[in-house]
Amino acid sequence: MIRNLFFYIREAFFSTKKNGIISLATIVCLTATLIIVGIFLIISLNINIFIANLESQLIAVAYLTDDLSQDEIEKLVQNTGGLEGVKGVDYVSKEEALQRLKEDLTEHKEILAGIQENPLPSSLEITVYDSNYLEEASYQISQFKGIEEVNYGGQLTKNLLIVFEFIRKAGLGIILVLLFVSILIMFAVIKISVHSRQEEIEIMALVGATNWFIRWPFIIEGFFKGLISSLLAFAVLGKAYQYFSGQAKEIIPFISINLEVDFALRIGIILLFLGIFIGVFGSMLSLRRISYEKL
Amino acid sequence: MIRMFHVFKTFPNKVSALWDISIHIKKGEFVFLIGPTGAGKTTFLKLIYRGILPSKGQVIVDGVNLSRLKQSYVPFLRREIGVVFQDFKLLYDRNVFENVAFSLRVTGVKNAIIKKEVNEILNIIGLSHKKNTNPHLLSGGEQQKLCIARAVVSRPLILLTDEPTGNLDPDTSWEIMKLLFKINIWGTTVIMASHDKLMVDRAQKRVIRLEQGRLVSDTMKGVYSKE
Ligand SMILES: Nc1ncnc2c1ncn2[C@@H]1O[C@H](COP(=O)(O)OP(=O)(O)OP(=O)(O)O)[C@@H](O)[C@H]1O
Ligand SMILES: [Mg+2]
Repeated sequence: MIRNLFFYIREAFFSTKKNGIISLATIVCLTATLIIVGIFLIISLNINIFIANLESQLIAVAYLTDDLSQDEIEKLVQNTGGLEGVKGVDYVSKEEALQRLKEDLTEHKEILAGIQENPLPSSLEITVYDSNYLEEASYQISQFKGIEEVNYGGQLTKNLLIVFEFIRKAGLGIILVLLFVSILIMFAVIKISVHSRQEEIEIMALVGATNWFIRWPFIIEGFFKGLISSLLAFAVLGKAYQYFSGQAKEIIPFISINLEVDFALRIGIILLFLGIFIGVFGSMLSLRRISYEKL
Repeated sequence: MIRMFHVFKTFPNKVSALWDISIHIKKGEFVFLIGPTGAGKTTFLKLIYRGILPSKGQVIVDGVNLSRLKQSYVPFLRREIGVVFQDFKLLYDRNVFENVAFSLRVTGVKNAIIKKEVNEILNIIGLSHKKNTNPHLLSGGEQQKLCIARAVVSRPLILLTDEPTGNLDPDTSWEIMKLLFKINIWGTTVIMASHDKLMVDRAQKRVIRLEQGRLVSDTMKGVYSKE
């Protein structure tokens, strides 16, 4: 088995070398496709993060009057939690509110310097399942006794979410189309390579090679081409992403572009998997119908 | 070793290449298959290594009915049959040694054994000194020898050769013939399709004659000419 594996790998490299131009073309095509897929992936993953951020802003904040007892607060939390569409209720005390403000203002401590008494109200932070519930729930809460005022994110957030959702879906569609196209390209290219080796395949079959013995070198060839292409695509994307995200940060500073290692790793793994999948699947597809007996 | 019962072969283009052939070739025999061009000699050989299936009738090789042989077993049948093709079918992208080794590699033989067997057969055939040469640099006779080496390196039960002396001078032809006799003496059943009157007459072996796809004569110690 191992012995055969060496033979397959050797034959695969032999064939890659022999069909140098075609091999190069395959790798270039596949790399290009993977880069485009990668771009859409990056956009779509960033949008995911964006949406998550926005969704976390889908909260209503109800400010409480200062004269409530512990029991009354508990009752309010319970009543609010019982409203339709409400996912969770968090109580934020006056002390906590101040603490948060201090953390936010670490660079401007002087603002708080003169304050002796805590001026901030305690509040309830209410998350909802869907932005559509926000308005109704806010109204209901504002009717409760002990509520000073209710604030919630506006129409802008809702509209942004709709737009991003659309972009995400379109991106997914484009990725699927590209995937399909790249499998076709791989299929065609390996078909050419199979064709150029038809005679060799025929001879293999005539001296008693099994079908799988004939197929393996081609599958391995597809595997390595996929592997190389995805590594290339990853390298190119990595450099480009670094460059452009730097630029983007300067232009629109509030956009939080993800530059973390584990994000890159995720993209890398997806590309690797895709590249290998396309390479191997393309090979299998083009080998499916070659005739091993044609003479 | 090889039996045919009322074998007909008609190609999709309606050409009738073989017509009602029945024959029995025993283990260890040496048989000439002769007849004018287009008589059906190559077709006859293809039926034996299951390059094609008969349109009608049965072909039985080493006790196996080829029409009933499962597709996945065909490679294993072919490992028992060495074939020297009319058009050589050599791999011109690798050297002489690798061409011969090829038929062992596909069956998963160990490298050390491949080396030993290939060198041995190249010695017998007389191509050792050209081991690292590319086949397209070989003469016609040397290419024929190479084909024979590749066909017999796996020590098949049957050797089929399709005009192995076509286009060769009489001395080289006779050299090839002697090689085939030697292989035959090892116990291999040999069938040789040929136009070569000189060789057939000289060899004094069984001669099967085809004409327009029909078996017209089958004689022990036969000669090429009709009567
Ligand atoms: N694949 C095929 N499709 C259609 N017709 C074929 C095919 N192979 C052979 N034939 C026809 O069958 C007949 C017998 O061909 P075959 O090759 O067996 O002849 P042959 O005796 O080997 O001739 P030669 O001495 O020239 O090699 C010929 O008329 C040929 O044209
Ligand atoms: Mg012929």
